[in-house]
Amino acid sequence: MGCFFSKKSKRKSAEKENLTPTTTSADTAGNSVPLGNNTDEAPKQYSWDKREKADPKDYTLTGLKDITVGRLPGTLNGKPFVIQDCVNCNIFVLDHSATISIDDCVNCRIVFGPVKGSVFFRDCKDIKCVVACQQFRARDCKKMDVFLCCATQPIIESSTGMKFGCFQYYYPELAFHFKDAGLSIFNNNWSNIHDFTPVSGENNWSLLPEDAKVADFVPAPDPESDFKSVRISTEADRSIVPLTKGGRRKDSEESCLFVFFAGDYTTANARKLIDEATSKGFVLVQTKEVSMKPEDARRVFQNSADDLVEWINKGPVTALELNGDGAVEGCKTIASEVFSGTKIFVSDNKNTSTRDVDSFFNFADMQMGL
Amino acid sequence: MGLLSILRRLKQSPEQEVRLLLLGLDNAGKTTLLKQLAAEDISHITPTQGFNIKSVQSSGFKLNVWDIGGQRKIRPYWRNYFENTDVLIYVIDSSDRKRFEETSLELAELLEEEKLAAVPLLVFANKQDLMTASPASELAESLNLHTIRDRMWQVQACSALTAEGVQDGMTWVCRNIKFRKR
Repeated sequence: MGCFFSKKSKRKSAEKENLTPTTTSADTAGNSVPLGNNTDEAPKQYSWDKREKADPKDYTLTGLKDITVGRLPGTLNGKPFVIQDCVNCNIFVLDHSATISIDDCVNCRIVFGPVKGSVFFRDCKDIKCVVACQQFRARDCKKMDVFLCCATQPIIESSTGMKFGCFQYYYPELAFHFKDAGLSIFNNNWSNIHDFTPVSGENNWSLLPEDAKVADFVPAPDPESDFKSVRISTEADRSIVPLTKGGRRKDSEESCLFVFFAGDYTTANARKLIDEATSKGFVLVQTKEVSMKPEDARRVFQNSADDLVEWINKGPVTALELNGDGAVEGCKTIASEVFSGTKIFVSDNKNTSTRDVDSFFNFADMQMGL
Repeated sequence: MGLLSILRRLKQSPEQEVRLLLLGLDNAGKTTLLKQLAAEDISHITPTQGFNIKSVQSSGFKLNVWDIGGQRKIRPYWRNYFENTDVLIYVIDSSDRKRFEETSLELAELLEEEKLAAVPLLVFANKQDLMTASPASELAESLNLHTIRDRMWQVQACSALTAEGVQDGMTWVCRNIKFRKR
């Protein structure tokens, strides 16, 4: 049996009951530590063995109190970051990072530039933060206000008093940091939280008031601090991430689907649409940037699909849901006046627009779950 | 090494159906590892609420890889997945030093489980791509794995994100599947 074994291990298999104690070992501080109990290979060298050793302390903030601290743009560059035991601090991590963990912090105001992986808060209390990440996790936390841009469904466990709002932040390098972290400003699941420990009759989480101002929760850094050089803005209309209504109740029954196809100006076009639509009084409910296959296009765009198939192959589409009485006519007008030269899809009439919206965003949710 | 090539190697063993179980604390990188093995996009992964499973089959041989959510609240459900496991793959976030004790305790409990008796154990010391990661040797030491007497075990440094080290771990898995006493 086992013709894929070498001659050597064939011998071993005959005496497998003896658990031949040939071990691989690695040196740590001069001592040999076994890494296994039945392999006869010398341990391999990987890229992390060959790279320059970094001191984890350079990526850690520990035990700080009453100060403003963090990292300026360009000083973290996609590395991981660890924060622990900080009290009454203003923490600004204004760069993209790999992952951030925050343990045992109390009464802090925190801003995290785009995080490629997860942000994990544990045993924290009285935190007000602005966070952009692929995954948001919190365990054993109490009283947190989070202005969030999260690519996947945020989760909480054994936590209470958790409140969520839409990410609102600007600094000049922020748009680049989103790209560096591989995050899309259009993929933001800030309002639908999964609670692993729901309590019957209570809510461990809720949404922040729609008019909540970031500046009231996380003030800009002290002008005397190291961060005085960064031109930060928390104004809603300057936010790099478009403000979405998310799971909040919609004002109108009428929604319109507007889709841009991949191209150099897609982001600028989407922002232009948002400006035009909101100035007409319509509300941006949700956005998604997602890749589609021809069969998805047929299902979502139905009669318009044939025309669009070649466009979806160029790259991910950017879709927006706009809500308000007259949204469909309003969007169609914007489409013809502002985007006459751009390839787009816009709902045709208010009788079918709800179906457009549901078809698209259900597809997107399925696509982006596992 | 993808799931299909693992399956191809298994076809030469007498087992018809092989079951790999991925456990570890939440945020360890289990789902990223699963997606990496399945050669799928790993840039957009949601925290696992229940479990994920990947199955591949070919010529009557079947390989199932189970990835179970690791939040504290749902670890009691791990036991529902123990039966018929051929290799236990335990994933650790090597950069999360704060939780080394917690993951050590969970692993120790798993090794006491009757339904996992003698099941070979591969520990992936994951997230080695991060500069804050503890080396595999330090992890091996703090986990006291050298005291294990009742099964084959191996610690493998890896980065599920870049795939480095993953194939080496899966090679060990293939070689040790047949060592499970049924």
